[in-house]
Amino acid sequence: MTTMLFDSEKIQSLRTQEPQHPWRRRTPKFTWSVALAVVIPALIAGYFLFATAIPDPIVIIIIYLPLQLLAAGVAAAVSKGKNGVADAFIYVLAIGGSIFSLVILISLIVTLFINGLKAVSVSFLTQNNFYISPSTSLEYGGVAHAVLGTLLIVFISMLVAIPVGIATAIYVTEVRGRAVPYVRFFVQAMSGVPSVVAGLFILTVLILTGAMGPSAFAGGLAYAILMLPTVARTAEEVLRLIPEDLRTGALALGSTRARTVLQVVLPAAKTGIVTAIVLGMARVVGETAPLVLVTGTSDATVYNPFNSPIAALPTYIFGNVAQPFPDAVTRAWGAALVLIIIVAILFVIARIIGRGKVK
Amino acid sequence: MAGTEVMRDLQSAATSHRGDRIFNRTITALAFTALAVLAGITVFLGAQAVPVFQTLGISYLTTTAWDLTTTPPQAGIFGMLYGSVLLSVIGLVIAIPAALLLAIFMVFLAPPALAKVLTNVVDLMAAIPSVIIGLWAFYILNPVAEEWEILLNQYLGFIPIFQNNSGNFLGTPFIAGFVLAIMMIPIITAVSREVLARTPPELINASESLGGSLWTMLRYVALPYGRGGIVGGIMLGLGRALGETIAIFFVLKIVFDTNWYQIIESGGGSVASLIVSKFGEASAGLEIQLLLAAGFFLFVLTLIVNVIANLIVSRTGRLQR
Amino acid sequence: MSTAEFEKSIEGLEVELSDSRAGLPIEMDARDISVWFGKRKVLEGVSIPFPKKTVTALIGPSGCGKSTFIRTLNRLHELIPGAALAGEVLYEGKDIYSPDVDPTHIRLKIGMVFQKPNPFPSMTIRGNVLSGLKLSGMKRPNHDDIVEETLRAAGLWNEVKDRLNAAAGELSGGQQQRLVIARALAVQPHVLLMDEPCSALDPASTLKIEETIRELSKEITIIIVTHNMQQAVRVSDYTAFFLAAENEPGYVVEQGPTTDIFGNPRDQRTLDYVNGRFG
Repeated sequence: MTTMLFDSEKIQSLRTQEPQHPWRRRTPKFTWSVALAVVIPALIAGYFLFATAIPDPIVIIIIYLPLQLLAAGVAAAVSKGKNGVADAFIYVLAIGGSIFSLVILISLIVTLFINGLKAVSVSFLTQNNFYISPSTSLEYGGVAHAVLGTLLIVFISMLVAIPVGIATAIYVTEVRGRAVPYVRFFVQAMSGVPSVVAGLFILTVLILTGAMGPSAFAGGLAYAILMLPTVARTAEEVLRLIPEDLRTGALALGSTRARTVLQVVLPAAKTGIVTAIVLGMARVVGETAPLVLVTGTSDATVYNPFNSPIAALPTYIFGNVAQPFPDAVTRAWGAALVLIIIVAILFVIARIIGRGKVK
Repeated sequence: MAGTEVMRDLQSAATSHRGDRIFNRTITALAFTALAVLAGITVFLGAQAVPVFQTLGISYLTTTAWDLTTTPPQAGIFGMLYGSVLLSVIGLVIAIPAALLLAIFMVFLAPPALAKVLTNVVDLMAAIPSVIIGLWAFYILNPVAEEWEILLNQYLGFIPIFQNNSGNFLGTPFIAGFVLAIMMIPIITAVSREVLARTPPELINASESLGGSLWTMLRYVALPYGRGGIVGGIMLGLGRALGETIAIFFVLKIVFDTNWYQIIESGGGSVASLIVSKFGEASAGLEIQLLLAAGFFLFVLTLIVNVIANLIVSRTGRLQR
Repeated sequence: MSTAEFEKSIEGLEVELSDSRAGLPIEMDARDISVWFGKRKVLEGVSIPFPKKTVTALIGPSGCGKSTFIRTLNRLHELIPGAALAGEVLYEGKDIYSPDVDPTHIRLKIGMVFQKPNPFPSMTIRGNVLSGLKLSGMKRPNHDDIVEETLRAAGLWNEVKDRLNAAAGELSGGQQQRLVIARALAVQPHVLLMDEPCSALDPASTLKIEETIRELSKEITIIIVTHNMQQAVRVSDYTAFFLAAENEPGYVVEQGPTTDIFGNPRDQRTLDYVNGRFG
């Protein structure tokens, strides 16, 4: 009898054991060194910031950051030994790097709201700029014509890019022709075309040839070039998720390939396709360079997409930045706020639809 | 309901091979739109570059000038092409460490909830239109950056890149490069985050079980494993930076005198911004052609960078799967 | 298993509080280890002593917490989100979960080999063997000697001595597993944990690794999780049999010298399991 059986009484007594996380327990030495490593550099930097005339950037980069690294390194060496020092540096630098990016983003968003809200009012959202000069006060005029112009241009680009983009995705996932790798390669290459080049291309083809003047239609075609790769790639990903059974099932019932795709596969992928479209819209809606080249601008509300220069939010902002008139600049901020809200709405829509699709 | 209707429809449908053929051909034709557009850009913009070369010769690419009043006119975009690269390098020097640190923080350090928030923050940053970043940079970043530049010049002015002779610290390559960094950070972060998050857990386990620390794990395991993807992400960011137009237009003073290295001296070059800045005043045929030719070379440059980036990203993707 | 069933299942069993390991020098001692993932308890009251320079096999059907248990012994368990633990693991007389203990130090002393061979793909064979030195910052002179010595100990030297700078991915699965054993040995652990090291390997490779284990046990303490009863008999000095009812925490039914567990088990369930009647 040399083996050991389990001991029921002992196990019963152990039933009272509580789940613990012993690895979260800290030695007082560790807690103190971390606390000091956070507080001391902050206090020293605070002193230099507020009590001396040394410029802020120098305090932060020459004094605070090295001091914080040193303090974290010493704290790690004291509490964890020399192997912890490099990790402490990474901690400090990674948090610092993240704060750097966050500060930029927060500054962008906050200044956008602070300055933009000065311009936004009911009239700003509902009027056009027809009787407005850069020096007119903010009570008059608005971006309604630019919002309409943006919507019209994006709509035209959708008419072109969505069918072509989805067809490209169908070619890759459903038709599966021999050229699939090439098509995917070209779509990828196309996604890297700079927006200004897309504008130049449409300028050369449509406007310089005299086929038409600056117009919403030309802008829509330029946007379509930028939108197509986004729609094609997202739609391709979505169609890949459609189970193969659905296709074979329909084909087995005697359906043609065309009907299978149009009546079974696409409807099954409906929400995903919508996501692809929304992402495509978000991709182009703020693009400025192509519009500067091919739509011109206008202070009036334009409905005809073919025969007239037209305003859009990006070109409206573009035209009002760096004006010597404060009210014109405030208008630019206001239009930027409207634009970012449109982008945000599109992204939220894409997220919501996308989430439904995954589950 | 809808499903049964579809099925009935399908059963009743006569198998039409002709319909399928038409369908296949239409789809195939449309699928080649991307190629058609790329070819169209090459042909149409390339065709505009031909007369430019006939008039100016290779000096269009090797000199820096823009004076169309002389006979013969003088124009060369070397300084603009060089400027685009210089701005991108400045942007990368700032963006690569910031993006990698952010990605490392999101994957290995942040609590999951915070990491999720940061993922959304990065996506949001990527979605901000460049005209808005330009607006912000012109009014908010400019004064701050000017202060940094004056300090850099004051204390490090003995280093050639921090020289400034004009006393004007606005419209500098540094500010423009910084703006490009803001646009590259989300791209590089998103790709790096994904690549680092795909480090196989068994390799992380191996590193932990060998007494590895976070730093050594990154240095010897995660970063070597994700290197290909990260480099690809950087190239994608570079492609975006080279083509960036509007934001640079606001913050860079374009001068036709190659600024080789004085990054905090007012004035520099950028092909993309040149096009927009000269477009308004361009009326005569030659000037438009010069801009279209510039667009052609910008297109070629970004195409090369993007193709390499995508090859790297897809190749490492395949190896790792 | 309800409490009533539990009571019934243990009815009439004799309880011995010690076995033949009592007098031996003990390298590691797990005491009253219980483990949770989130709210779910997966292991209950496991106490196993591990005598120095012996091989202990942990056997039992899948899902009874053997792998979870072995990961508590070198503090890899805590890296899983939601993990919790009670009890203590004594190593050199001290609880490895005490707050002043550095987990990286523990993981160096208590090495681990995983189920799936996991050499670092971006490193050469030589680089993999020496990777522990880089990762832990440990300084050891004569790297060439370390490479040869550990690869010999892992039974791989003759197969790779001419291509030490080849990528680790070129090796077969069995060779990779011996490579990661060499890698674990290069940092001179006192204990080696092996989590089903042969489950992904062919019989020939398995045999080689078993030889390696027997050789290594002259120098270090080995704890091995295995599903293969013959393997436990072939390589181990002691065996602990784990069992878990469905959705109940696992526990150790019986433990002791391998010869007794397999030749003369006292619990009916141990007898059934070692004879292949379930699991």
